[in-house]
Amino acid sequence: MLTNKIFLKKTKKGGVMKIVREHYLRDDITCGTEICAFCNQKSPCLQENPSSRSGLVTTSHYLLPDTNVVLHQIDVLEDSSIQNVIILQTVLDEVRHRSAPAHRRLKDMISNPDKHFYSFCNEFNKDTYIERLRGEKSNDRNDRAIRQAAKWYADHLKKCDGNLKVVLLTNDADNKSKAKDMGLEAYTIYEYVKSLKDAGLLMDRLSVPDTGLAVEDNRVQFPEHLPLLEIQRGIKSGKYLQGTFQASRENYMEANVSVHNDDRMIFIQGHMNLNRAVQDDVVAIEMLKECDWGCPSSLVMEETEEKPDDADIEGEDLKLKRNKVPKEQRQPSARVVGIIKRNWRQYCGILQQSALKEATRHLFVPAEKRIPKIRIETRQANVLAGQRIVVAIDSWPKNSRYPHGHFVRMLGNVGDRETENEVLLLEHDVPHNNFSDSVLSFLPKMPWIITEEDMKRRRDLRHLYICSVDPPGCTDIDDALHYRELENGNIEVGVHIADVSHFIRPGNALDKEAANRGTTVYLVDMRIDMVPDLLSSNLCSLRSNVERFAFSVLWEMNHDAEIIKTEFTKSIINSKASLTYAEAQMRIDDKGKNDPLTLGLRGLNRLAKILKRKRTENGALTLASPEIRFHIDSETHDPIDVQSKQLLETNSMVEEFMLLANISTAQKIYEEFPNCAVLRRHPSPPPSNFDPLLKAALSKGFSITVSSGKELADSLDKAVLPEDQYFNTMLRIMATRCMMQAVYFCSGTISESEFFHYGLASEIYTHFTSPIRRYSDILVHRLLAVSIGADASYPELLDKYKTQSVCNNLNYRHKMAQYAGRASVNLQTHLFFKKRVIDEEGYVLFVRKNALQILIPRYGLEATLYLNTDRRKQGPTFEFDEEKNVQRCGVVTFHVFDRVIVQLSIDRSNIQHLKLKLELVKPEVPGFSVPKASQRDVNLDEPPTKKVKT
Amino acid sequence: MVDVLLSDAEKTFIIHGIQDNLRDDGRGCEDYRHMEIETDVVSSTSGSAKVRLANTEILVGVKAELGEPSSGKPDKGRLEFFVDCSANATPEFEGRGGEDLALEISNMLTRAYDCPKCLDLGKLCVIKGQQCWVLYVDILLLECGGNLFDAASVAVKAALYNTCIPTVTVSQDEGHVDIELSDDPFDVQHLDVTSAPCIVTLSKIGHSHVVDASQKEEACCLARLMMGVTEKGTVTALKKEGSGSLDPSSVEEMMETGKRVGQALNKSLMEVLCLEEQKGKKKEKTGFLR
Amino acid sequence: MFSCYIVTFCSPRIRKTSSMAGMELLSDQGFRIDGRKPKELRRIQCRLGVFNQADGSAYIEQGNTKVLAAVYGPHETAGGRGKALHDRVLVNCQYSMATFSTGERKRRPRGDRKSKEMTMHLQQTFNAAIMTSLYPRSQIDIYVEVLQSDGGNYCASVNAATLALIDAGIPMKDYVCACSASFVKDCPMVDINFLEESSGGPELIVATLPKSSQIVFLEMNSRLHEDNLSKVLDVAVKGTKDVYQVLDNAVRDHISEVSAFHKLDQS
Repeated sequence: MLTNKIFLKKTKKGGVMKIVREHYLRDDITCGTEICAFCNQKSPCLQENPSSRSGLVTTSHYLLPDTNVVLHQIDVLEDSSIQNVIILQTVLDEVRHRSAPAHRRLKDMISNPDKHFYSFCNEFNKDTYIERLRGEKSNDRNDRAIRQAAKWYADHLKKCDGNLKVVLLTNDADNKSKAKDMGLEAYTIYEYVKSLKDAGLLMDRLSVPDTGLAVEDNRVQFPEHLPLLEIQRGIKSGKYLQGTFQASRENYMEANVSVHNDDRMIFIQGHMNLNRAVQDDVVAIEMLKECDWGCPSSLVMEETEEKPDDADIEGEDLKLKRNKVPKEQRQPSARVVGIIKRNWRQYCGILQQSALKEATRHLFVPAEKRIPKIRIETRQANVLAGQRIVVAIDSWPKNSRYPHGHFVRMLGNVGDRETENEVLLLEHDVPHNNFSDSVLSFLPKMPWIITEEDMKRRRDLRHLYICSVDPPGCTDIDDALHYRELENGNIEVGVHIADVSHFIRPGNALDKEAANRGTTVYLVDMRIDMVPDLLSSNLCSLRSNVERFAFSVLWEMNHDAEIIKTEFTKSIINSKASLTYAEAQMRIDDKGKNDPLTLGLRGLNRLAKILKRKRTENGALTLASPEIRFHIDSETHDPIDVQSKQLLETNSMVEEFMLLANISTAQKIYEEFPNCAVLRRHPSPPPSNFDPLLKAALSKGFSITVSSGKELADSLDKAVLPEDQYFNTMLRIMATRCMMQAVYFCSGTISESEFFHYGLASEIYTHFTSPIRRYSDILVHRLLAVSIGADASYPELLDKYKTQSVCNNLNYRHKMAQYAGRASVNLQTHLFFKKRVIDEEGYVLFVRKNALQILIPRYGLEATLYLNTDRRKQGPTFEFDEEKNVQRCGVVTFHVFDRVIVQLSIDRSNIQHLKLKLELVKPEVPGFSVPKASQRDVNLDEPPTKKVKT
Repeated sequence: MVDVLLSDAEKTFIIHGIQDNLRDDGRGCEDYRHMEIETDVVSSTSGSAKVRLANTEILVGVKAELGEPSSGKPDKGRLEFFVDCSANATPEFEGRGGEDLALEISNMLTRAYDCPKCLDLGKLCVIKGQQCWVLYVDILLLECGGNLFDAASVAVKAALYNTCIPTVTVSQDEGHVDIELSDDPFDVQHLDVTSAPCIVTLSKIGHSHVVDASQKEEACCLARLMMGVTEKGTVTALKKEGSGSLDPSSVEEMMETGKRVGQALNKSLMEVLCLEEQKGKKKEKTGFLR
Repeated sequence: MFSCYIVTFCSPRIRKTSSMAGMELLSDQGFRIDGRKPKELRRIQCRLGVFNQADGSAYIEQGNTKVLAAVYGPHETAGGRGKALHDRVLVNCQYSMATFSTGERKRRPRGDRKSKEMTMHLQQTFNAAIMTSLYPRSQIDIYVEVLQSDGGNYCASVNAATLALIDAGIPMKDYVCACSASFVKDCPMVDINFLEESSGGPELIVATLPKSSQIVFLEMNSRLHEDNLSKVLDVAVKGTKDVYQVLDNAVRDHISEVSAFHKLDQS
């Protein structure tokens, strides 16, 4: 059967185009049910006899949700108790157009065989396809199509077996009544879920309809949002600006909007002006008159007590405006007039139980301080109290003080390590679900053997003395090295990288999953793999004494580490040893050892030193960032000790060769694919970024020049205080803070002059050496493989726009992984100090208006020592001298780089946000500093009391 | 013009026949040959029609696009005629071979429609002086069997009748103009083509004149008069063509015939078109598949 | 193949957001955007002898791609003696597209680069199929007019011209049948329409003499790895054989119809 789809389209030039598309209607689309004898089908996925748990429909039935049910109640559909669901093509298409995340989740459900979800192509079926009628809206047509398909199923099932039913789930009253008129069973999702046995938790997961929770008193509190059309027009005419909403962490009544295509940050203050915008939303704002401009109050305001939904917002706002802002402090301010795109996600947090005992409506307090509290409805507040839970926002009606949401799931007890890790991963948007079956299906079948065919395509390097050098306990070994002297007197150095792209083929589910994850995320006590364990810790990992596939870079070098020839090849290697940095260092240092492996390591080490020297001469920066290691108790998994990571010569040795391999690869792929090479650049920071560094160095009499990377490196080298060896390290830490973020990009999207990698002082750079844990490296491997003719290309690889969008995701994931890593360190630090109060040596890193930023080298920690806080009612006050950048209190003056003794403990006043607390021990400031830990009687079991100074 | 070679004897036979109101295919002097009209034949156009007049086959596609109005008529839409003589009709049209004929036909059509009462072009105005609908009327000549002008004009009228113009809403805001297309595919405007002209060609053969000359008759004809005639008998354009000359009295006579025939032609054309529209979607679409 | 009926459906989309971005050329359920499976051809309908004046003519619809072809000749060479070939017939082609055939109106029906290239391709294709040595010093004209274009213009043109040549009674080695194919999500797709053509994926066009499986024309656009080439080519060649079946049936129907008519005439 054939039909034509005809529609009009505006072309880019503003013209109108009539588009005609064929649409074939078929008679071979199967129903997907096990009982059907009519449709000739293989492995149908709807069960023959699904048990009904519903009180409304007591017989076996299939569910058929409409688009809005899928879009808004996906949390319910995902529940394992919801099975045997028919997803119509109409629904699937609409969901895809309206919400990408919901579409992805829906697809996952369909591909999960346990869910028994069947996607029925009703638009291609000649019996269920309908045409739009004259005057019918597109949505109405789709609703009718859904009813038509439901009707078809009902009739079809009757034909097969009288008992099975199809139940249409729709929240649209009109749709429901029309369906009933047709003799269909139709319920709203609320009715249906309520009728289920043990509905409990599932009920809470229901998203609230817009009016469901509305307060009886329909007093409008917030200004109305403008319709999208008006916003678009306003933006065109310049009346409104479009930007991303960034709520303030400190004050829930303040926010900034970063205006798109502009560097401006616009300040927004007060409920009415914030107008229900939530963190990350894309909003339209209107500038206020200059006389109404405000400035950040510099107050830390946390919303604590629960207010009624119709609380007086205007009153709260008025309090703010009592004191007019002096002219010179005013910042450009605006108000939100409309929401262009909500970017709501699911939020982790805890329940703030309502004071009323029997109440079903409670407030949810998100862990992320920039998210407002959310009103949810639950009947099991007692169960949820003290738990970390996940909640989604459904709506924010204009007459409600809080946004409305629904409970999604429970994570576990507050403070549990697993729970807190889960929170950390969720909050940093790290995909960490177990790999799905469809992903795992693309793994090689075990036992994995190397075939003749494989041997033919690869160079056999098994005879070489290859070894890997990694941190202790490393199971995902990406790289291995070898060194050998050639007969012509030159040296051959090889870097062998795990050949992950051999196992992960472009476009399959495994590849998509890896591309989405982007990177392996390392937390202190766990690792979230980018690729399944079989690959990361086994088949790809270049472990010793097993044959592994590698992608090798082989250089011929002379003894001055000058490259004579570079060669890339796919290979088979057999690593002779997996060493730790320390083991490798011991071998190098042990004069007695002279086996080929050790000789190789020594050779590599010698070359690495030359390479490093050359690099530094070129202006590469050696920057420092405090890195720490936790020693974790093997039983309790609690950290028992913290120490800074030690750097050995061998660390730098491996690093040098990895850098070299990355640079060589970057050159090669850029040469071969000038338009679509995946590269990494590190932009030079704008000079103003260096101001704090220059100021700090100057206070000790050193001038740092920052006009180029080379000069910066040199002047950093010269800034050494003989009496304070930590001074230089601190300078480097500061310099690190001035840097920009390095990013992946696709070479065709920016001009060659911007490729520069500032930190490494390299014209061109990429990531090639860690394909097990970075997706960028997999892309680079594929490009390199194509350029040496070892593998096939595919269209997406050569499409610079697609590649750039992959790069954007990688940059995002990379950033989030870093944040998650840091958050994990913080979490461990808190766990470590939970049972301890320790005095430690520290240095003043920055002097701030009301605080000192202290670096504690032993723990690689940086923490804030607050000086004048509102909570501290008594004691001396500190004076901040902005000119000299010092804080004074009586005779004691704090400069940058001053050495202090601080006491570390945990502030437990807020259970969601445990804070590391710093108190001054030395130099003594009467009334402010505290006695040494050993002299104090610290009762650890009674946390939240404020310590009273003696 | 596509030529047919005739001997003198053949010509004489035809001329004498016509004097007795008897033509070689049995028609009278004011009779048209069998004509087949079908609309909505090309789905990628806003309106289309196919006309087959004996062996003359013409396909017309109308495309509505948004464009700027001409400076002289800021509140009117535009009508653009373009004729393409396909080489399918005869190898002589290959390359640029058909361009002269094409230009002749499109000029005649432009002139016939260049009359404010033919078609309400004001309806095609979207924003005065800025945006209007431009109707590109593309005429594809597929086979030549004589009387191309008349056939083309009938096909054009039928295609315009079939044309659907999407409804647009204009919103103006602080100098910004937004044109929004209607979401409903049925929300379209039709053109009123009742008073659109058809071209009637009168060929002077011997002392008489005939309408709808066949190719053979065209070969005998030395002068012809082409006129655009509306259903009311208004003459919108007039053109004398051919190597021979006409005396004023016979021009008058021919015009009278032309008006009469033109009115009848317009009337029956509209009847056919209405009938076809009533059949609507149910009609079996055939196009070139017979 | 599945059965075909006709319905018409309208759904206007205007906003740019609902444009082609985000379309799945091949859904998870294994259907293409128009509801076909990867290895299914579009509906083909054709007719021989559309015109009276041309020596041979034919009309073909492959989905929404509609093409008319006319054949004149063999006859004396047009441009004087100079162009005539002493040992074989001159195959003269012209490819042209109606100005209203495309979504956006074309300004010229022919003479642009694309049409000139098409003309040359047709010429090459039919030089390989017509028994040219039978008519030295003469000329055969093949004129192709695309009335509506929805992808596979070349293929439909070749198929239409083949039918027109058969209608004109010009001796050929075999039918020439053309078909296109693409490669999406590791799956070869046959007879791609305009939407699939313009998605940027590879496009392979092949014309064969189906009985001997000889390839007379082959063209490939965009990138495709050579490992996949044979898969795509196989699918396209299979497509030409399917096309052949349809054309052959049409020719046989036409002949029986015409001969029945003649018998009536004689009796």
